[in-house]
Amino acid sequence: MLIRAEYEKRDELKYISHLELMNTFRRTFRRAKLPVKYSQGYNPHIIFSMSQPLPVGMVGYSEYFDLELKEKLSFNLMKNEINKFLPEGLNVFEIVEISDKDKSLQAIANTARYEYEMSFKNDKSNSAKMISDFLNEDEIEITRYRRKKDDRMIDLAPMIYDGQVVEDNIWEFTISTGSSGNVRPQEVIRALKLKTDGEVKEIPLVNIKRIGLYVRRDGKLFKPIHREVLKKEVSED
Amino acid sequence: MNVREKISDRLIEVTNPERYIGNEYNIIKKEWQEDSIKVLTAFPDTYEIGMSHLGLKIIYHLLNKEDNIICERTFSPWPDFENLLREENLPIFSLESGRSVDEFDILAFTLQYEMSYTNILTILDLAGLEFYSSNRKESDPLVIGGGSIVSNVEPVAKFFDLIFIGEAENYIVDIINKHHELDNKGLEKREILKKLSRIPGVYVPSLYNVEYHESGHIKNIEPVNDEVKANVTRQLVTDLDKAFYPEKFLVPYMEIIHDRATVEVSRGCTKGCRFCSAGITYRPVRERSKETLLKQIDNILKNTGYEEISLTSLSTIDHTEVKELVEELTEKYEDDKISVSLSSLRVDKFSVELAKEVQKVRKTGLTFAPEAGTARLRNVINKGVSEENLYEAVEAAFNEGWSTVKLYFMIGLPTEEQADLKGIVDLVNNVLNKGKEIRKNTNKRMKPIRINVSISTFIPKASTPFQWEPMVNKDKLQEKIRFLRSNLNKKGINLSWNEEDLSLLESIFSRGDRRLADVLISAWKKGSRFDGWGDFLDFERWLEAFRENNIDPDFYLRRRDLDETLPWDHINMGLNPKFLEKEYKKALNDSPTSDCRFSDCKGCNICFNLDVDLDIIGDDYNVNKS
Repeated sequence: MLIRAEYEKRDELKYISHLELMNTFRRTFRRAKLPVKYSQGYNPHIIFSMSQPLPVGMVGYSEYFDLELKEKLSFNLMKNEINKFLPEGLNVFEIVEISDKDKSLQAIANTARYEYEMSFKNDKSNSAKMISDFLNEDEIEITRYRRKKDDRMIDLAPMIYDGQVVEDNIWEFTISTGSSGNVRPQEVIRALKLKTDGEVKEIPLVNIKRIGLYVRRDGKLFKPIHREVLKKEVSED
Repeated sequence: MNVREKISDRLIEVTNPERYIGNEYNIIKKEWQEDSIKVLTAFPDTYEIGMSHLGLKIIYHLLNKEDNIICERTFSPWPDFENLLREENLPIFSLESGRSVDEFDILAFTLQYEMSYTNILTILDLAGLEFYSSNRKESDPLVIGGGSIVSNVEPVAKFFDLIFIGEAENYIVDIINKHHELDNKGLEKREILKKLSRIPGVYVPSLYNVEYHESGHIKNIEPVNDEVKANVTRQLVTDLDKAFYPEKFLVPYMEIIHDRATVEVSRGCTKGCRFCSAGITYRPVRERSKETLLKQIDNILKNTGYEEISLTSLSTIDHTEVKELVEELTEKYEDDKISVSLSSLRVDKFSVELAKEVQKVRKTGLTFAPEAGTARLRNVINKGVSEENLYEAVEAAFNEGWSTVKLYFMIGLPTEEQADLKGIVDLVNNVLNKGKEIRKNTNKRMKPIRINVSISTFIPKASTPFQWEPMVNKDKLQEKIRFLRSNLNKKGINLSWNEEDLSLLESIFSRGDRRLADVLISAWKKGSRFDGWGDFLDFERWLEAFRENNIDPDFYLRRRDLDETLPWDHINMGLNPKFLEKEYKKALNDSPTSDCRFSDCKGCNICFNLDVDLDIIGDDYNVNKS
């Protein structure tokens, strides 16, 4: 059976890379003695895939992975076993069954929500105004820096879906992610800096948290484990 | 105080921040109790190298097994992280509790490689400690060391309060407890060290005076008074099968060098290669039984989730039960896709058959080490490998479908001539041609044949039959490398060699004395760090450090007289005093010495002197052969 799990990666584990995280999960599955499936070939490995990589330095409070198992197991048992063998800082919240007709996580999750610990040049009393002005912009042009390729200009406006002030210096943005249009979380800050004439200052990556990954359909957001976006009826146990 | 918390957010600025976060699965975080003894192990190289070190694994788990001891870890900070700590004015800290060195009773270094000596200084400095033991305060933690290069620790001896000579498993807990007891009594450090020095294997450098002739040669090395033992005898584990071995390995996030379930199938090697330091310092051979190994492997796999088993030792293929062990392991774990790797292959067909067995799950590379190009030179170094052995082994490998093999050779060996270098060229070409021939005639799909030739530089090491030999000079070394490069420059052969400067520096410190401590400090102050990593080595800086201290590096590279007092003469490896000289003279006569494990005793006397037996599983007469 195929399963999809929601988990968090927090605290110091923000410093482990995507590849290291994958290895950590693989070894956890082995410690938990899950009936995993292996790929064929000279270097067999556990068939398992993850949602969009988090950059090193960023925690994720609602991340996902898909795993194929040789036999059916109770979700609760599986969740408990995985959590028992995960290192501190990783924790699985929920597991659902998916079908082989479901699209991969990286194909389906097209929206991400980030929480920013903001930093301002002067006072921060006009947070609400700054964010509403920003969201009302028709065009938000910034330079995208690309590795081994020329920089180019992109317009973020159509890819920033929503934003709000949680506290004066804690802001949230919901933005497009993945192959159909990707906004890097730091680009939002760079754009804000431009639009506010430097009132919003750039912040280190560790001040940004990914708090959600979603499937966006007709303007509505669903978790990738939501039955609305899954082909198969999710069974509960 | 948790130092890491203060710097946690800035770790994003350094390379591989996961080196400093700890938090590995199976990490041991003990409650910080007032009356516990706190030990911080310090590995003078990066996290990924230190975490692969078997000795460190053993010590960490062995100490933490004790209720009254808390053992934590720290590793050398990469230069970017060192700079960050200095910028924030923070000390180096432990991975477990994030505490600084001053909160520990003991700082314990692993001494495993000469070129990591400057990293010891970095850790001491970031701990706020003086380099020289004699300059440190009464309240400072005790700085101890131990590890695989204790046959000559003199260049760093003055940095340490105490160094353990040999395998520490049986004594380390006693030393730590005794220190604690004496410290609690309020004794002065010097008094405590005097008392600790009575424990077998404990070397307190400050209790030995070294006097020099005007020529710079050593006049004598003597204990400060008659109460101090005249020399320090290496200690070892007599029954490896019963010796402690950790089974709850920490599982790092970062891919470490040996990222697998490693078991130590045996300790020691009696093949008697005359260039090899470990061949003397770990003598004699002691094997673990198959049953014990199977149990340990099973537990380590359960506790870690590792996908690979490594059977490690100085010569794994020689283990009495290796074939049965490998067969049982592959059968037992094939379904779980767990593969087996062998740390060292012998140059023969048996090795290839075994390698074939282990690569059922994952295909690995094959490495053979003929070490020298001609039969004559192989006799000199006592590497009992014939040309036929090598051809048989590589033919078996090519026939089994391997298209790439790696060959190890050494250059600069004693008595080496042009013919020996030519011999390397011929061997490599013959191996390549045999591969091509087999590939041409097979109906299997095979990638083009590739021979990776790895050339290392011979370095005369303390306590080996070649300890008196001079180090080859730089010009000659470059000439030899040029010859090999121009003659092995063809398709299918890939040649790699050591950086000449690195070899020279390693050689200086391998047979160095206490006067080199000042050179280490000068070079460190000029910025030397991680010299063994090649990209950081600045030889000119080292030469300046030598000049500053009026020390001629060539003094340490020269030939030594047989009757000269050597810097490590007070460290007793357990050898018959004439054994190395006898072996040296045999070497110069191209005369080999057979392995005592398969033939009669060769009179090194280690079994007798250290009261230990050659411990071969299933051997009916495990008698003391001396």
